[in-house]
Amino acid sequence: MKKLFKALLPLALAATMFAGCAGGSQGGSGDSGSGTAEPTGETIKIGTIYAMSGDKAAIGENILRGIDFAVAEINAQGGVNGRMLEVVRGDHAGDAATGKSEAERLITQEHVDVMMGCHMSTVTEVVAQVCQQYGVPMITAISTLDKLSDEEHKAYDYFFRLCPLNSVYVEDMLKYLKDSSQQTGEEIKTVAIFTDKAAIGQELIRCVNLFAANYGIEVVGEVDYSGGAADLSAQVLALKQMNPDAILCDSYVSDATLFINTLKEQNYKPKMIVAKANGFTDPSFITNLGSAANGVASVVEFNNDLTNGVEINKEFKEQYGVDMNGHSAESYTVVWLFKAAIEKAGSTDGEAVKQALADLVIDGAFEGGRNIVLPYSHIDFAEEYDLAGSKHYRDNTSASVAIAQIQDGEWKTVWPFEFASSKIQYPAPLE
Amino acid sequence: MDVLLQAIVNGILLGGFYALMGMGQNIIFGVMKIVNFCHGEMLMVGMYLTYMLYTYAGIDPYLALPLVALIMFLLGAGIQHTLITPSLKTKSFTNLLFLTVGLGLLLSNGALVLFGSDYKSIRTSYSQTNIMLGPVSVALPKLISFLVLIVVTIALFSFLKYSTTGKQIRAVSQNPVGAEVCGINVKRIYLLTYGLGIALAGIAGCLLTQFYSIYPTAGASFGFRALIVVVVGGLGSIPGAFFAGILLGLLEQMSALFISPSYSDMIVFITFIVILVVRQLLIMRRR
Repeated sequence: MKKLFKALLPLALAATMFAGCAGGSQGGSGDSGSGTAEPTGETIKIGTIYAMSGDKAAIGENILRGIDFAVAEINAQGGVNGRMLEVVRGDHAGDAATGKSEAERLITQEHVDVMMGCHMSTVTEVVAQVCQQYGVPMITAISTLDKLSDEEHKAYDYFFRLCPLNSVYVEDMLKYLKDSSQQTGEEIKTVAIFTDKAAIGQELIRCVNLFAANYGIEVVGEVDYSGGAADLSAQVLALKQMNPDAILCDSYVSDATLFINTLKEQNYKPKMIVAKANGFTDPSFITNLGSAANGVASVVEFNNDLTNGVEINKEFKEQYGVDMNGHSAESYTVVWLFKAAIEKAGSTDGEAVKQALADLVIDGAFEGGRNIVLPYSHIDFAEEYDLAGSKHYRDNTSASVAIAQIQDGEWKTVWPFEFASSKIQYPAPLE
Repeated sequence: MDVLLQAIVNGILLGGFYALMGMGQNIIFGVMKIVNFCHGEMLMVGMYLTYMLYTYAGIDPYLALPLVALIMFLLGAGIQHTLITPSLKTKSFTNLLFLTVGLGLLLSNGALVLFGSDYKSIRTSYSQTNIMLGPVSVALPKLISFLVLIVVTIALFSFLKYSTTGKQIRAVSQNPVGAEVCGINVKRIYLLTYGLGIALAGIAGCLLTQFYSIYPTAGASFGFRALIVVVVGGLGSIPGAFFAGILLGLLEQMSALFISPSYSDMIVFITFIVILVVRQLLIMRRR
């Protein structure tokens, strides 16, 4: 008898383990499997993977606020298909390996139905792999790295992207330059690029050169410097000699501050400065420069005076005491996208939700919800499209950024015109 | 032409600043034969000190200058007494190297803990004022710091040349053993020298707050250039450091103007290496 037990034990163990695995892989598809055993009131689980510890924790906090805000709204309306939403949080602590294990934990142990993440594109990439493996639909709200949706990632058909791509940020800067003549009466024909020697700067240079010709803009020069520069007067003099109609820039905050101070010192007032966020949108930029920062414009994903964001920002601020930012607005939108897709699919089955997301079109407003709170009014994940000569997959091709300008010490949205609260100040006063 | 003039003025003003940093480093190196690898961080400490005096006590940065110099002198003398003097006994260069590098890390991380990583600045009524000298635009704070540099250079030069203590410092610099035999208190001279070097970094930091952001690693790029100034200007020579600093500033600006701003750093460092090699060859030939 004892011997028989010993012989059967491994078998029994193996059987339970197998059952466990099967349960795990089915967890992603929620109510499809064991149908009757689950009460209809079971929640729909949204897995999130963001940094909640480490030096990126503050960024994660803003993202999670946007998610919680949307979940509260949807649950107050009775949830999705009669089921409440529940957020299950994973913490990647800024590290890709941690992100991967957290994704596996959320899927196999917490049985999340859909996934959101991450803040850093490198982490997003590995989490997308895990989601693909288990068939869990995933949307990234804020990962902008172009290559996440390129040819190499074509097969990741459970992965969707809401936010604009890095190169779209730059293309929008050029669109803004072109459109600005409608308000300023002066065409922008030439630009110079001022940026860090590091990767962020080289990426800006690459993208501007890629798109400039399409907008009738000539790049007259590229001026770069090593980050944390001791002095930028040589760079500013070089720009002054080029005398472009506008300067496009991307710098960390110490260099951005020094740059604007040096412009003044070298008695050079470029008529238009457009930054790719970064140091220019750091809160200390305006504090440290005071009025000298007036007129500097930057790319933003969201701003508190964006016409379709004012209302939500007010409620958001009442609840959290801070303004909504680009990250919270984008992650808020993703939760509503999942709601729309799950309703359309009629279940939380991974395959069905994936298909619903691929077919989903949001025009203007969400059903039962607000207008899209971002600077565009259409969401549609393109199955395949062409961006500057290379193919991309499952991005929201209508996504765009807004341009805000510092006017009297505050960021004011000036573009796209239909979402803007203020007119462009031209030429930039810088005082 | 206007651009050339502007670039020359920019170069001289910037170089003056490098000179000030270099002089502090140089006096320490000249006398004690140690490279003070935390000189850039001392500059940063001077910046935060000025920032605190301005924010909490409302003292104007230029009025705070003597006070900052004094506090930094005491800090330097304290470090010399408690940390450097004991390790000088070991006669080990690596020991002092690690000590000063470690001290630098300690200071910048200490600043990170105390003040956070945000970028601070001091904005006074005159910090964004410009003066037009013909076609050339000059920022008032940079002009003032250049004038301070000239005063400091002259004062330091005459102090070393004519005062008794100055003569003692030079004696120690030339031959510490001989100086000790003559009855000079070498330990006291070391204390004074290190304090003086750190005070100079403090003065530079105080002046810098008027045209640069204050953050924990603000001193890094300046500290590195101070080393170049020391090597180019000749060890222990105050006028040498003065001219080497200005030369470095001019070189940066001219290479940016005539070649490309992208390459100015590279050109500076290539020149630095060339000078090192050429000097070494000359020394070998003389032998």
